[in-house]
Amino acid sequence: MTSILKVDQLQDSGGNAIITSDGAGNITTPGITTYTNSDALTLFNASGSAPVYACRAWVNWDGASGAGTTIRGSGNVSSITYNGTGDYTVNFTTAMPDANYATSAFASQESSADNNVTCVGQKGVISSNYTVSSCRLQMRRLDGVTLDINLVTAIFVR
Amino acid sequence: MDKRIIYKNIDGSIGIIIPANCGLTVEQIARKDVPTGLKYKIVDVSEIPSDREFRNAWTIDDSELTDGVGE
Repeated sequence: MTSILKVDQLQDSGGNAIITSDGAGNITTPGITTYTNSDALTLFNASGSAPVYACRAWVNWDGASGAGTTIRGSGNVSSITYNGTGDYTVNFTTAMPDANYATSAFASQESSADNNVTCVGQKGVISSNYTVSSCRLQMRRLDGVTLDINLVTAIFVR
Repeated sequence: MDKRIIYKNIDGSIGIIIPANCGLTVEQIARKDVPTGLKYKIVDVSEIPSDREFRNAWTIDDSELTDGVGE
């Protein structure tokens, strides 16, 4: 049989309350503010009542030099794999909860030529390229030619 | 980071991993991000060819991949 400890307040050795119960199932701790759902929306500057979903990983890189690719900034990304021309895999530091996350990616090539307008997608088997631990992206010109791109950004939301 | 992690896929293509500043060492990233069971080598970025005209034809001898195996 498990034991139950009934108490209204926990104090430190100096007699200061560190956890206090109001008797109705709620506790307060000095120095810690209680947040509500609406507070979280305010924190994200989000108006209205629609819920907010988090970006779980992001990355911005310069792929124009291939293996010399520079990662300008990232969050929850441990590395990028250069698989081939215009073909990269973003590896997550901490895995996604599942492979049903949403991705948005942007690629921009420094060129005035219209045929260098770039799109981002994938090739091959989706279940192999879109996993909990990584996401493979490929950059192509509109004529289908793969390119190593100056600016690639991607966010992963779940 | 100025290090790169090289490995060879089962189909013979070459993967080159660019580590991010994520709090992990390059060795930890190699073990985590190289596909399971594939051998890898950690090199300076300067050792990777800068001419990428034939990037998809790059290859490496298996005997060069001596730094570990992807987990």
